[in-house]
Amino acid sequence: MLLSMIAYGQNYTGIVTDSKTAEPLIGLSIYNLNNEIGTTTDFDGSYEIQAKPNDTLEFSYIGYQTQKIIVGNNFVIDVQLLTDAEILDEVIVVGYGAVKKSDLTGSITQIKSEELLKVPSSNAVQGLQGKVSGLQILSTSGDPGANPVVRLRGVTTLNDNNPIAVIDGVITDVGAISLLNSNDIASIEVLKDASATAIYGTRGAAGVIIVTTKKGTSGKDNIQFSFERSIENVGNKIDVMTGREFATYLNEIDPGTFNNLDALADTDWHDLIYKENTAITNANLSYSTGNEKNNHYIGLGYFNQEGVLPKSGLERFTAKINSNYKIAEFMNFGLDFSTMYSEKENAPGVVNNVLRALPITAPFNEDGSFADVNGGNPLAAIEFSNSTNKRVRALGNLYASVNFLKNFTFKTSLQFDANVAENRSFTPSYFVGPLQQNADNDLALSRNLNLSTIFENTLNYQQSFGPHNISLLVGHTSQTIRGENLEGRTEGLLREDDNFWFLDAGQDDLDQVSNNLRINRLESYLGRINYSFDSKYLVTASIRRDGSSNFGANNRFGVFPSMALGWNIYNESFFPKNSFLNSAKLRLSWGITGNEKIDVLAQYATIANGQDAVLGQNESLNAGASFDSGGNPNLKWEQTTQSNIGVNLGFFENRILAEVDYYVKNTEDILVALEPVGYLGIGANRSIFFNAADVENKGLEWQVSYQDKKGKFNYSIGVLGTTISNKVTNIGQGIGADSLIIGGDLGNGQQVGRSAVGEPIGFLYGYETIGVYQNQADLDNSASFFNSVVGDLKYKDLNGDGKIDGFDRTRIGSSIPELIYGFNVEVGYEGFSLAADFQGQRGSDIYNGKQAIRFTTVNFEEKYNNYWTGEGSTNTHPRASSGGNNFLPSSYYVESGDFFRLRSLTLNYKLNGNLLNKVKASNVNIYLRATNLFTVTNFTGYSPEIGATNAIDGVIDRGTYPISKIYTLGLNVQF
Amino acid sequence: MNRLLIFSVFIIGFVSCGEDFLNEPPKSVLTVGTFPSTESDAILATNAIYFIAKTWSINTGGFPVLDVMSDETVKGSNPGDGIHLRPYETFEHEATSIITENWYKTVYSAIKKTNLVIEKVPSIENIDPNLQSRLVAEARAFRAYFYSLLVRGYGDVPKVTVSEPPLGLGRAPYQEILNEIIYPDYEYAIANLPKRSDYPAEDLGRMTKGAAEGLYARIKLFYGDFETVETLTESIIESKEYELVPTLGKIFSHDNEFNEESIFEIGGLATTNQVLGGNQYANTQGVRGTPNKGWGFSRPAYPFIQELEANQDPRMESSILFLNEVIDGQTIVGEAATPDTTMENGRIVEIECYNQKVWVPGPTSETSFSHNRRILRYADVLLMHAEALVENGKASDALPFINQIRARARGGSNVLPDITTTNPSELKEAILNERKYELAFEGLRFWDLIRTGKAIEVMGPLGFVAGKNEFLPLPQSEIDISQGLILQNPGY
Repeated sequence: MLLSMIAYGQNYTGIVTDSKTAEPLIGLSIYNLNNEIGTTTDFDGSYEIQAKPNDTLEFSYIGYQTQKIIVGNNFVIDVQLLTDAEILDEVIVVGYGAVKKSDLTGSITQIKSEELLKVPSSNAVQGLQGKVSGLQILSTSGDPGANPVVRLRGVTTLNDNNPIAVIDGVITDVGAISLLNSNDIASIEVLKDASATAIYGTRGAAGVIIVTTKKGTSGKDNIQFSFERSIENVGNKIDVMTGREFATYLNEIDPGTFNNLDALADTDWHDLIYKENTAITNANLSYSTGNEKNNHYIGLGYFNQEGVLPKSGLERFTAKINSNYKIAEFMNFGLDFSTMYSEKENAPGVVNNVLRALPITAPFNEDGSFADVNGGNPLAAIEFSNSTNKRVRALGNLYASVNFLKNFTFKTSLQFDANVAENRSFTPSYFVGPLQQNADNDLALSRNLNLSTIFENTLNYQQSFGPHNISLLVGHTSQTIRGENLEGRTEGLLREDDNFWFLDAGQDDLDQVSNNLRINRLESYLGRINYSFDSKYLVTASIRRDGSSNFGANNRFGVFPSMALGWNIYNESFFPKNSFLNSAKLRLSWGITGNEKIDVLAQYATIANGQDAVLGQNESLNAGASFDSGGNPNLKWEQTTQSNIGVNLGFFENRILAEVDYYVKNTEDILVALEPVGYLGIGANRSIFFNAADVENKGLEWQVSYQDKKGKFNYSIGVLGTTISNKVTNIGQGIGADSLIIGGDLGNGQQVGRSAVGEPIGFLYGYETIGVYQNQADLDNSASFFNSVVGDLKYKDLNGDGKIDGFDRTRIGSSIPELIYGFNVEVGYEGFSLAADFQGQRGSDIYNGKQAIRFTTVNFEEKYNNYWTGEGSTNTHPRASSGGNNFLPSSYYVESGDFFRLRSLTLNYKLNGNLLNKVKASNVNIYLRATNLFTVTNFTGYSPEIGATNAIDGVIDRGTYPISKIYTLGLNVQF
Repeated sequence: MNRLLIFSVFIIGFVSCGEDFLNEPPKSVLTVGTFPSTESDAILATNAIYFIAKTWSINTGGFPVLDVMSDETVKGSNPGDGIHLRPYETFEHEATSIITENWYKTVYSAIKKTNLVIEKVPSIENIDPNLQSRLVAEARAFRAYFYSLLVRGYGDVPKVTVSEPPLGLGRAPYQEILNEIIYPDYEYAIANLPKRSDYPAEDLGRMTKGAAEGLYARIKLFYGDFETVETLTESIIESKEYELVPTLGKIFSHDNEFNEESIFEIGGLATTNQVLGGNQYANTQGVRGTPNKGWGFSRPAYPFIQELEANQDPRMESSILFLNEVIDGQTIVGEAATPDTTMENGRIVEIECYNQKVWVPGPTSETSFSHNRRILRYADVLLMHAEALVENGKASDALPFINQIRARARGGSNVLPDITTTNPSELKEAILNERKYELAFEGLRFWDLIRTGKAIEVMGPLGFVAGKNEFLPLPQSEIDISQGLILQNPGY
């Protein structure tokens, strides 16, 4: 500090970039060889250092060739560093540590901050879409703040398939990433194979996503400001019948229902409900500072999305503080802290309403009140919906580390993740019609308090001697996850305005309160060894022993080992050195990971009260208690054994980089809730957890990138893809439970999801449609239902018994795609760049549940206009009908989920030197971006990106909040 | 610095959390084992049986399939709803039907609750011995009742008499269930239960001696033991605990619950929440549309209505709600999506109408959850008694019992003349018909047709297959899971 106050020479500044990509090199060290003082570059690659004209500066950076420059009299020195072909060394974050990319043996993909910012979203996970091979991310809902469905390397289990997230070292759920502002994230690493994930033991089976936030660096202070403003619109409209079409159709079913088609209303509910050009605002401000002893990063964010559906907006504030203090040469301590406050209006459930409400009814009566619409009046549903979710979440890691005896580092940390959510819903008293009414106003309130705490201690040893490099890690961690829920409900509030939306305002005798607590504890020991010889041969082995209170004392502990080998073939002397192939590495890994994501109560059979008898002349409740849920005290870990073989190749001076992996994942003893035999008396639709299924996933992943530049023109292309083959190899063998798992309940008694041995998880199940009965002879000569009539859908008689019944149902679709792919293209010229991200998937199907579910006569989707009108008219669509055999689960409702989508298209302009000096900023970017600009698909719903939140349900379109098309104008300034 | 290494190794290696760290007892729930162990536990465990007796799916899996299969009702609701109920109309229901599965599983879960009381309450100390035997008797009457549902519905079924049954059970012959569970349970209950009049007003609705006798008679009647039926029904009649409600429409009315005719009924409170006392039995069949009383399943069959009309039977008006009828100040408008009249080949096959026996007045559909399901009433006992007398060769003694029912139905009008024949077979036919009109939509007609051998004659044209449809199919899952130990009923 003192030194910097004494003028040594002149200030030299500049920006250091990668010679190929022109990307700034962050944290690069610059050393003045003459006065022996150094500095590092900032986030934008800029530096400032004092030097005299004859001094020599040394620029050095991992993975690049060191460059020395005699400064001369030009005070601005921009430097382009050449990559060192032999050591492509980015640092990759792994579980409980970090390794150089060249030393990596596992399958891990790193995504940098800039990539995450390419999609305007409240959730950084959405930025990973189409960027990581093996990772499927589906934005299943356009509802502001909705978490996407995330699946890594297929569907490994029949229960919770969400990968875990590790945010700044804190193990948490993938949903927690939404508490972070994408601007505050430095990188995200996706851990795919067992060698990478086994160190997380019981949590690793579905993959691990490590999020590392930005830290302050020593050197110049950095202020960054960004502002984005977007408008969004529903991407596409689902065509339904117009008033006239609907009336014509009903007349076909029941002639004379509507005698004057001209007198009918023609209400377009979609246009009445969805808003146009709704806004998304995203503003961020960050400041980072640091010196040799301390460094700090502070980020503030504001996100506001109105939503295309009324009353569905999200407003979110985020704050990030990372501070690190070097209190002695050998000792550091610090805190990484992230927090968020959000307010979300819970979207009224009108998406289906819009598709169902009869078009022949005007929305309002003559007196201005809401009209009673068959299928529900969506305008009224919105009017009477008042439901808000408020949430505070804070996640932090308080740590101290001590370096001693040269090679040892001891780190202790206390981690916490606190999540408080409140839901308040008020429904006023109203009457629209007999099926849309609420006699007494009511209020429901719930509060959830979740707190996870982790105490973690690790000891690291690192030593190099000659060609040997060794690093050892041992550690112990213990975690307590506590979730408490408090709910209240009341009716008959004194007044209906929001000053009365409290339980005390309701009638005391109608108050209902419930409260419960779940505690889950985990204790683990972990160890890992990394050894490399001469940067050629790499070995990683890890082991973790986990104990969980989710299991009974007999099966509480599980051991999860892994082993990986890497061979940097390129470093062998026999490997020809030429400009064609410049790097080559072979990786092999094997390991076991676990899954314990079940309710802590699953092991217990319980007695519960709330089973009250209604007795007495005046009928009152008499308290009762008895058996409630069944339990299984013998539960144990579900375990996944994964083998992986992979290669990394670099061609043409590493302008082309390719990474290819093949994996086989076998999950055994899957924890699955199955219905046991009925006579056990657990009850109808009640199940018990068993370790009772096996699933195999196999796939090939590839990720290839090419980048180059010609003069001022630079470009890059990336291609990635994954194949998935998923198969259930066992369910419920010999444990007294059902060997078939039925899911995908449409709510009308139909269940279209199924999991069975030999088939993929959650396939679609129903009748196979082979045409339409064209005439009586056709009907008489074909298999049919007892009550089939001419014009009905003809289903395939699979068992050939001459009639159609439940035994003729079969697999009619797959819920798991065979191929997920993405590619991105970026071209740049001077300050301009244009980037496009595409992604898609093939081989999955979607069940159009929203059309199949019909409790009453509601509107139809447009395809029903093509109804069968007589012999030869169509062999695809059935006669006009409003219920019955044509609405049974069949392939008529299965649509292809294949799609190809332009996820984002961004035009960016980076201000050049002169302009930059005028605004006194070090870096200014202005960009225009279009998101979800076009989608190629045959799917007729709002978006083919529908995921099965619960894998056994299969993919069903139940009418989800539409995905929008978004246009964004953004500004990013760094000082 | 060496000390630091020792320190950190110590922290990692030895500062584990201790044995108790992972022993976290569950919060706010009791795990099985120690319940019931006190007098108040015993009352709680017994009351829970009444709770499960009120659950929706204990009523034949939620939907009135017995009536829908019989000639009294059809599926109902509108064509698009309840697709899984429709096959029962034409006897096309299969083993995979969710309705029969829900019924079977719910009845076994009810049996589990009765077994808990029967198994644990006798060994509780510090409990009033009278209360103790009454609670066990209530549980045993219920267990017999629940098993009666199973053996009539499914035939041979697994025999479970403990609260935590083992895996690997097969089907026990129904005679074994009758002789070892149902009959001894009812006999114990009859010997230990108070009469209705011995209970305080706040306990109305509990199992009584009369209820146990009547339900016992019902299952005995089904298996043709008319001697026992006569004895049991006579005991009920002689007890003077019950009599017919004088006005026809008042038997099921909401303001006349626990009336003098009702021998056993299950209460309900006006809330859609079953935990808070709601009983969805009536809602399932209630008027659909306007006024909104429910889903409108199990619609009175048109031929059945025509029969009542031809007989000028006043029970047509008291049992069926027709469109535009005004009841309790509310006009029955019905639902737009349900055709008012369904024609086939120019003939009316169905008209929109509803079961009036589940009608509940009030402004909202919630009120229909307050309907008490009448499980057994005195009119049924009189008709069972009459039938037993005929079968036991006392045909002429039976006439007053049938004619009491007809006189009440007739009211002041001059329709439905007294039955005068003493020809046993004519009388049996007359009693079966009387049961049909009097006990319509009460879930009894199907069993009457089965036990009297009239099933094929009456339901054959609807699709009934002899040798198959006498029983429901066991749930397919039960067959699959047991891997050969449990076999399906013939024909399914």
